[in-house]
Amino acid sequence: MTASELRSPSLADEFNDALAAGTLVIQRCKACGEVNMYPRYRCPACQSADLGWQQSEGTGVLLTYAVIRAVPPKGFESDLPYAVGVVRLDEGVQLLARLEPAEDGEWDPYACDTRVRFVPRSCQVGETRLTAWFAPDGSPS
Amino acid sequence: MTDGTGTLHFDAGAPNDPVFIGVGELESGRFPERSFIQALTEVAMRALDNARVLPREVDTIVLIPNLHSFDDQADLIFSRMVEELGLSRQAKASFMVHSGGSTSDNAVRVVSGLIHAGHAQTVLVLQAERWGSADLTEMVTMLTANGIPQEWERASGLTFNAVGALITQRYMFETGSTPEEMASVCVALRKWANLNPNAMYRDKQLTVDQVLGSKVVTDPLHALECPPLADGAAAFVMTTAENAAHRRDATVRIAGSGGCVSHYSIAQETDLATMGWRTAAERAWNQSGWSPEDVEFGEVYDSYAAVTAIASEGLGLCAPGEGARWFASGATSPGGAFPMNTNGGLLSAGHTGVGGGMALLVEGIRQLLWQAEPERQLGGVKRGVIGGTGGTYMDAQVLLLERVDNGGAR
Repeated sequence: MTASELRSPSLADEFNDALAAGTLVIQRCKACGEVNMYPRYRCPACQSADLGWQQSEGTGVLLTYAVIRAVPPKGFESDLPYAVGVVRLDEGVQLLARLEPAEDGEWDPYACDTRVRFVPRSCQVGETRLTAWFAPDGSPS
Repeated sequence: MTDGTGTLHFDAGAPNDPVFIGVGELESGRFPERSFIQALTEVAMRALDNARVLPREVDTIVLIPNLHSFDDQADLIFSRMVEELGLSRQAKASFMVHSGGSTSDNAVRVVSGLIHAGHAQTVLVLQAERWGSADLTEMVTMLTANGIPQEWERASGLTFNAVGALITQRYMFETGSTPEEMASVCVALRKWANLNPNAMYRDKQLTVDQVLGSKVVTDPLHALECPPLADGAAAFVMTTAENAAHRRDATVRIAGSGGCVSHYSIAQETDLATMGWRTAAERAWNQSGWSPEDVEFGEVYDSYAAVTAIASEGLGLCAPGEGARWFASGATSPGGAFPMNTNGGLLSAGHTGVGGGMALLVEGIRQLLWQAEPERQLGGVKRGVIGGTGGTYMDAQVLLLERVDNGGAR
């Protein structure tokens, strides 16, 4: 096994399994109730290791976003153009997400502080590029 | 809990006050024929000559990392430069410090602590990078794989230009800065680069229209608002004030520093238009007893216009929300009231990876030693502020430096 094939077991596995099943989950500390994103091995607030998951309501605010039109990393050439954004969920935690384009393939409906909601997407078995997708809140699913 | 502003135990004039005594730099740009070790050796010799220090007087080498090659990184870590400079057995230690773009600022803290405590007397800090000669897609992919959380964000296709764009978008939203004002920051930096013989774009002029007319790479960033990847090399020498006294007319000492690590991943930053700069600056001003009015120029990390605008505001060099407009006003340009990034910065001197912050630091030391080329030298400057940041702008690092004229050592 080469170094590049050495894969650590990851807290992301459970998060990604939920994403693949169409749900967005947030880690919650069973000791102090703090919600954590991204998930940790110990609660950053109280250091407890007694951590579990809760389903997110999936709604929040888009703090900022960027539309990538050129110079992508390897493997993302056919995705161009695509948009990423920082979403603050109503539960209070933040994550990086992909943003659904509007019908014209652009991202005009988005601005800083736009309300957005999680969009479940169907995933193929063995999907290695699982990421949370969001769309403007109130847009048709 | 500490507030991060402990007393600095260095005393101006004390024999063991750590000081900068020389700098070296190679031209930035694309130099595929210049090998990595050749660049490191050449820049080391330039810094030592400038410091009037012989190679055999160096007891410690501190390496600033490169980002273009893991093989070259291994050469740095495992003491190749000790052999190259003829220091086998003479050298007490050779090691790397790494925090991405803020490495040089953290290296200054490490080295000054070693010197002040007596663990080292004369330290050579070395950096070289070959980003300009490297394959662009490979470097973009490497940056996406390093510094962006692999489990949580790599799958989104986030790039470093996108990290810059995320900050720029929020900064423009909160401050009302226009595309023209953001582009003006790049133009202001270019004016300095035109005066710097080591800058990648020393011979190219730049206008706001050119910036806004260039291709949109990652909204809202145009191609000419993204840092040009460059080859480059820089070095500096630090020693005790006592050891420096007979070598130089003047040295540069550290009046204080401050830092703030605000996040690891960009999506966890809760204040995307301010980040850690206010806290870091407050810590540095408190430790030094200085205020923004006490410094005469700045050399502050500028991989994107918003990065240096945010930092300038946090440092108190201009009013909150006015960073981009401050640059657009000409205040920071040659002849302006408060010169900023007098080497042209990363955006115009060239982004030499971890070396971008190193080049700004070296330029700050050079200005305080009054050794810049005459058309770029700031007349009689004695105090400057250095600002750096690494990764996805994970930290804000501030160094406050002052010139000490001969006789400073007792």
